[in-house]
Formats: sequence, C-alpha cells, structure tokens
Amino acid sequence: MKKGIARRAIAATLALGVGIALAGCSGGGAGAGGNAVPGEDYTGPKVSITFWNGWTGGAAPVLVPKLVDKFNSEHDNIEVKNVPQEWGDISKKLPLAVKAGKGPDVAVAHGDDVATYAAQGLLLPADDIVDELGYSADDFPEGLMDAGAYKGAQYGIPWSVTPMGLYVNNDVLRAAGIDPATVPADKDSYMKALEALKAAGVAGEWVDGYVFTGTFEFESLLWQFGGDLYNDDVTEATFNSDAGVQALTHMVDLIDKGYSPPNVAQDGNIKGLLAGQTAYNWNGVWQTTNESFNEIDWTVAPVPQIGTEKAVWSSSTHWMFLNNKGQDKNKTAAAATFVKWMNENSAGWAETGELPAANEVRNDPSLVETYPNLKPFIESLPYAHYETSAPGITAANALITTALNEAVTGKKEPKEALDDAAKQANEILKQNAAKYGD
Amino acid sequence: MTNLAIRPLPSSRRQRVSKTGVALHTGTAYLFLLPFLVLFGVFVVFPSIFGLWISVTDWSPFKDTQSFIGLQNYIDLFTPGSITFGDFWQSMGATGIFTVLSVPCLLIIPLLIAILLNNNIRGGTVFRAIFFAPYVLGVAVIGVIWKYLLDTQSGMLNHILGLFGLPTDIPWTVDVPWAWVSLVLVTVWWTLGFNAVILLAGLKAINPDLYEAAALDGAGVFRKFWSVTLPGLRPVMLFVSTTTILASANMFGQSYILTKGGPANTTRTAIMYISDQGLSQNNMAPAAAMSYILFAFLAIISVINFRLQREKTD
Repeated sequence: MKKGIARRAIAATLALGVGIALAGCSGGGAGAGGNAVPGEDYTGPKVSITFWNGWTGGAAPVLVPKLVDKFNSEHDNIEVKNVPQEWGDISKKLPLAVKAGKGPDVAVAHGDDVATYAAQGLLLPADDIVDELGYSADDFPEGLMDAGAYKGAQYGIPWSVTPMGLYVNNDVLRAAGIDPATVPADKDSYMKALEALKAAGVAGEWVDGYVFTGTFEFESLLWQFGGDLYNDDVTEATFNSDAGVQALTHMVDLIDKGYSPPNVAQDGNIKGLLAGQTAYNWNGVWQTTNESFNEIDWTVAPVPQIGTEKAVWSSSTHWMFLNNKGQDKNKTAAAATFVKWMNENSAGWAETGELPAANEVRNDPSLVETYPNLKPFIESLPYAHYETSAPGITAANALITTALNEAVTGKKEPKEALDDAAKQANEILKQNAAKYGD
Repeated sequence: MTNLAIRPLPSSRRQRVSKTGVALHTGTAYLFLLPFLVLFGVFVVFPSIFGLWISVTDWSPFKDTQSFIGLQNYIDLFTPGSITFGDFWQSMGATGIFTVLSVPCLLIIPLLIAILLNNNIRGGTVFRAIFFAPYVLGVAVIGVIWKYLLDTQSGMLNHILGLFGLPTDIPWTVDVPWAWVSLVLVTVWWTLGFNAVILLAGLKAINPDLYEAAALDGAGVFRKFWSVTLPGLRPVMLFVSTTTILASANMFGQSYILTKGGPANTTRTAIMYISDQGLSQNNMAPAAAMSYILFAFLAIISVINFRLQREKTD
C-alpha cells in the first residue's frame, strides 16, 4: 500500500504518537478484540463510517469534503461519509438517532454540548481511544482536554479552539491622532486610548448586550477579575461574584461615560468597526476570515487586560464517538483512525478562522506564516478559558446574557441583574442535576 | 362536511343506484381522501395525542421509560415561583402584546389597500404584485434585511430620520417600546399582501348591483362602505381575522432574529420560549404542557371570534 510511507512520515511528526501507536498496533490485531482500539491505523475489514458536523458556512463546506476525500483515498478499508447539517439540528436529532442505532460513528460538537451528550449516554468514553492514539493533555492548549471531560471520563478529543481578540480599525485611530503601532494591552493604556477617541468624537468600543459578542467579553472580564462562571462541581452559579459585578460595571461604564453609544444592536459593533465608526471591537478569531476587513486598515491583538490577571474567553470543538445501539467496534476503531488523521492534517483548518487544537500543528511556524492574523490568538491561548463542561449548561449560560442585556440597556444595576440571573441559574442547575442524573 | 360531499344527489338517476353502488361511491370518496388523511393523521392527529401524553409525564428523550405524573406540569405552570412560571407567563404576555398590536394593523391596512386596488386603477396588477412580493420571502430573509435597516447606529432607517432632523439613535431592535414597533412594522410589511389579496377577492365577489342600489338610495362613499362592503366581506373577514390572529399568536422568527427576545426577555414570545424549553433544553414535558395552554387560549379566542362575526350575520 503506497499510503504507508506518507502516513508514517506524518505520524512521525507526532513524537509521542508513534511509540504508543506501534504498541497499540501489536496489541490491537484485527481491531475487534475487546476494547482495544488500534493506535496507528485501523486494520480490520472494510467499514463505512458516518461523520456528523455542523460546518455549513464559510470555508468549511469546501474544505471538509476535500479532507474526507483525501482520507478515504489513503485508507482502503475505511470510507468516511461526511454529513454536514446545522449545529442545532445535530443536538435535536442525536438523542433519537443514537438510541435507534442510526446515529453517526463520529461527530464534532462544541465544548458546552459534550457533557450534555455524555450525560444522555450518547457517547462512548474515549479514555481508551485517547491512550491508544497517544494523546495527552500536553498535546493541546492547557485546560482543553478538561473541556471535553465529564465526571472523570474523557468524551471529547479536541479539534479546534476559537478565542477572542481585540480588532482595531487603524484609520479611525489615526484620524483621532493615535498611533496605531502599539495596541493597548492593559487597562490604563486602553482607557487612555478610549478617552482620546472620545475627545475626537469617536465612541471607541461599542458594547452590546448579546451572546455575540457582549457575553464573551463579559466572561473574559469576569475571569480577568479573578472570578469564575460556576463553582468547581457546577452546582452553583458564581458569575454574580465581586469579579462579575466589576466586569459588568466596566462594560456599563463604557456606555455611561460615552466610550460606547447606548443600545448597540447585535453585530452593530463589528459593523461599526468595518464602517469606520468605532476603533475597537472584542470579537472571535472567526472574524479574521470576514472579507469586509479587506476594505479597511486593521490589526488584531490579544484582548487588553482590564482586570487583575490575563484571561480571555474561548470556545472549542471536540470529536465524539457515538454510543449507537449495537455500535460496531470496528467502526469506532476506524473513526479513531479518522480523528487522528484529521488532527494531524488540521493545518488547513485555520482557513476557516479557527485554530487547530493540536499543539504540534498549530505551533508549526508555517501556520502563522500562512495566516499571520492568527498570531495574537495563538499567543493568548495559554490564559484562555473554555466553556464550562456540565450537562444542560447552555440553559444556565443563557441567563448570563439576560443579565448583561438588562444591565447594558439600563433595566437593572449590574449587581442586581447578575444576582437575579444567578438565582435562576441555580434553579436550572438543580433541575439539570435531576434531569441528567448527578 | 365530508358526509355532505358524499351524500347521493336526490336526482332520479341517483336514486336508481343500488345500495352497493352507494357503498362503492362512498368508498371511492374515502379513497380519494386517504392520502391527505394519512398525512393529517401522521403529522397532526398523532403528534397532538402524543403531545398530550408527554405533557402528563416527566418525559425525557434520554430515559427508556417515562413515568406518569398527572397534571404536575400544568400545576407548575400555574404555581408562582416555579422554575417556569415567571418566564412562561412573561412570554404569553409578549405574545398577547404582539397579537393586540399587530392584528388591527393587519386587518385595516390590507382592507384599505384592497379597496384601493379594487378601483381599477392604472397598473393595479403591478401594485398588487408589489404589495404581495414580501410575502414570498422567508422569515430568515426578511429578518436579516430588517436587522440591517433597523440597526441603531448604522441602520438606514435612523439615517433617513436624521435627514429630516429627527432623532437618529432610536433603538429599533434593542429597547422597548421600539422593539414592539419594529416587530409589528416588519410583520405588517411582510404579510399584508396575503390578507390584501384575499380581501380583494372578497371585494370582487360583492355584487355591483348592491352599490348601484345603495347609490340610488342616496348612500355616500362611507355609507356604502358600512352597509355594502363590510357586510359583503363578512365571510372573508372571518377567515382573514382568524388566520391573522393565529399567525400573530404563533409569532417566532421575527423576534428570534430581530430582537433575540430582548431587551432581557421582553419580546420573547410563547412559541420562542416553548421551543427553547422543549427542543434546546430537553424539557419536553413542561414544553408540551405549555403548548396545550397556548392552544387552549387560541381555541377560546377563535371560538369568540366565530361567535362575534356569526351573530352579526344573523
């Protein structure tokens, strides 16, 4: 098989991978023996596996079929069927499909959904697969493996991360007499820049009260002030702590002091930045692929440190192996081979405006050379915080946005809004514990 | 209605048809009805009965057996302080506000347009097409278009207001009452064409002799409108008002896209909350109970609507 040499050359780039992979090979045999998943490559009979993902927009619908075709052509005994659909449809369909034995063999999900699926019994614990593939927490940014774990078991293998950054319109800065060469990195310089912009008649950062991206900014600030969203075992909301109040007060102050106009609509701020009406926007790495940026002179930098420590919000996506009724072990083994191959070949994924999770791939200097705008995002990963991993957590998270919206529209004081939201979130956490079993 | 359609006509020819002939005739009719009946049964009857069952259990998509808990889901919805009470009734209130604001606009404006179009004006067909055009667009399309137009800072609407020296910072989608104004405005723009076309068909069905007779009796424009047009439109109006009330009470997409239910949850409608509870949060059982409460409200309103309009006819 001609694939052999190429495969090994790629595998060799993962120093840790090879050793354990070979060990896995000797033990795995036909790939159907017990729980053993062959490390290097699936060697069993030819199987066809189904792969569900929510990549329906941007560059992904072109890129994913290319990757899948390449994988299929390199693997005689595995055929991957790519089934893209809306993320929301996946979460609606997965429970019934898996129970009926008609779900995918492998799927990708956002970090805040993995635990929900795991608690529903839809996923196979992937600890063995992680071991056999030779992955350890060190192969990914700090804390990312935990974002795919639930109750001490690993269910998600990291695929991509999407942190926030500070997008800057340089023309607006120049017009206000500010040198765009240095992007503010701390509170003092950031507030000074906002003050200078205000003097020039520009509201420098437009604060919105929606998930995209006010909620992400609030969560970044909460972590910067030393707080956290929930307590360690996710039984209690802690986003109404002093840190949370400081974070939300900072955002409301930006409006009250005229650094932001009131009543910014969702995406109003990124539109404002692109239209040259504002200078700074806290937004996700996915905006680096926004073609409208070609029209302006812009830079992107890590978000400034407003609080007492460095922190930034990041989302993540993870591979999951499905616990279909009567799941064929060969198919799961083949899926593991597919996941490993995808992670090894994920350099091109940066084209979609997401960072490959595998350190080896992401830290390869050629990645930043090809996609220079990703540099500040990669640099901020050491202090990135990922979404809370707990079943049903998105329902509780929704209340954070409610509190933010109430505060920025002046309906409630920051503390009152956060306290009310935390109280309701605690009820939902209780309900989740009953619903998903503790 | 069905037995009307299959009742043999009392003509002499029909009466000669033997009993088996009648049975055959009936059978054929049922055969023709079958395809629709299958769809109706699978997608309407079965889900509504199944939903009723879900609403009296603690149904969860990831448990193998579901236990019967009686009316607990319904009791929770009527118990202040329960986890769903506040949010559910707020969303019902939002639906109520939207219905009360939008239905009169969606009846009066299309009626006026229909009357104008009924005057055989030049280019009437073109205008009819223009008024109807937005209706063919999906809610996602009109939602995205209006989101751009209604943006607080960079929206075209605020910009145009500015040209006339009016305030340029109206939070059309961000704060109330403007969010309600926007939702009603967008919905009226989007769906008035449908009502206008139905009402126009109703106007054309009114016998012109009646207008002539009214004119001979010395009736003016308004008198003709009150005494000929409105009574003549009554059956059509009953249909239009019923479907409009139901459509407004089921509003979802406009809020979901334009206001995200905000500010806070002020414009989150009942359907939006129910779908979030049932489909996003997997709380199927309470969501099913909520659906039946909404259904009960809509059934009562529809019955009142039918009664009111029927009594006028008698």
